[in-house]
Amino acid sequence: MKIITAKTDCACEKRIALDDMILTSDMPTAAGSRMLDGYMSLFDAEVVTRLKEAGHCVSMKADVGEFAVDLMGETSYNGAPVASGVLVNAACETVKNGDAVAAISLDVNGAIRRGAAQSGLVCIKPTYGTVSRYGTIPAACSGECVSVTAGDVKTVADILSVIAGHDDKDGTSLPAEKCEAAGKVTAPVKRIGVIRALCEGVDADVQAKLDEFCAKAQAAGIEIVTFDGAALTAARAAWNVLMSAEVCNNVSRYDGVKYGYRAERFTNIDELYTNSRTEAFGDVLKSVILYGSETLSTENYMKVYDKSLRVRRIICEIFADLFEDADAVLMPAVGKMAYTEEDVKADKYMAFSENVYTAPASITGLPAVVAGGVQLVGPALSDAALLDAVARIG
Amino acid sequence: MNRETLRRLEMLNQLSLTEEQKDDVIRFFDAREADFEVIDKFFDTADVERMVHVMPVMTVVREDKVIKKFEREALQQNAPETDEGYWCVPRVLE
Repeated sequence: MKIITAKTDCACEKRIALDDMILTSDMPTAAGSRMLDGYMSLFDAEVVTRLKEAGHCVSMKADVGEFAVDLMGETSYNGAPVASGVLVNAACETVKNGDAVAAISLDVNGAIRRGAAQSGLVCIKPTYGTVSRYGTIPAACSGECVSVTAGDVKTVADILSVIAGHDDKDGTSLPAEKCEAAGKVTAPVKRIGVIRALCEGVDADVQAKLDEFCAKAQAAGIEIVTFDGAALTAARAAWNVLMSAEVCNNVSRYDGVKYGYRAERFTNIDELYTNSRTEAFGDVLKSVILYGSETLSTENYMKVYDKSLRVRRIICEIFADLFEDADAVLMPAVGKMAYTEEDVKADKYMAFSENVYTAPASITGLPAVVAGGVQLVGPALSDAALLDAVARIG
Repeated sequence: MNRETLRRLEMLNQLSLTEEQKDDVIRFFDAREADFEVIDKFFDTADVERMVHVMPVMTVVREDKVIKKFEREALQQNAPETDEGYWCVPRVLE
């Protein structure tokens, strides 16, 4: 188990931790995978360049689950990050322990949001396209976002303002005026809709966090309404398909030839590829690769993969309808306030059921802010309004 | 999912699973398929246009000029094996 996988000498107060999905030229980046153990990038990710130019010290890398598709980081080849028997997110731990003032992560399947909720930190997964993904290790490109986690809203907002903005090097980067719009509060949150269907399966601790957030919101003058939102639970199944298919394609480049792990024993080129991938990838990632491959097969493409793309549009439309009646929606980020090692030993694929809470924002690219152990999701480009709301709620 | 299909998927993805892993992967597939049935419960997707990107995506173009140069040594720092500036790859011809 490792929390920090690499660090540079730095005594300044503006230390930033990156999760191990973000490339740095002065520290290795492994994506939590034996496949990329010791990999050194030739260049920094755009977010790293921007942070350095703003005077921040990008001084450490936090461990991450293999290609960030898991629950909290438990599939890292370094072992699961655990504190007192409870699974923790390594990037969150760097902030919680005071090693870094903020952590930058690639939110692929919600691990950082779950970690922030359970650690009592503030985290934003910004609107898709407002922060450059140039120099991040690709996993599920159509939904993954560079996210910011810190101990308070102001720090999150300050760091986000540094890294957000158009980047010519990222084909999915939004135009500058849209990125700027996401950084301004044009319509403050006055009404929040609670998604009842997503709150039903949570444990008492999470329910208490939801109740507390609603009470504080009302005390801050924000109206609370309730929506059924049952159809949003279907986002998970569609996201699992799209994420798996994209991960399958993205990790197909790792074959042990140009870079990455190479098996020692092989008798021909096919064995080289197969042995390298089999020895280097972990069990959960292999399952994801195989499932993604199957959803893209001739037999399943239309009835599974294509259908998931259609569901993505439907989920976007459902959110658009909800935002006619509320400025943001409230939902849990986790089903329970602590996951244990026993939980993931009993069900190593827990991430693919627990992401029922994080998949709606992942599949739609909508901004999501985690604070007070719960998650607030808003319309596209409402990033600053969401942060303003959680600051007012306190 | 059955073992025959799984064997084909292993081959396509250049992976080799143990018998125990195969059982595990089949369980994963079964769980995902059960999840997917929820979609039919909620939605009729027949007339819905698919959404590949959540935001408009434009092809990035730039002037065809060199903007960054790397030394050969830097480019090869992650190669599993090199020899005097060349990548060493396994023999593929008998």
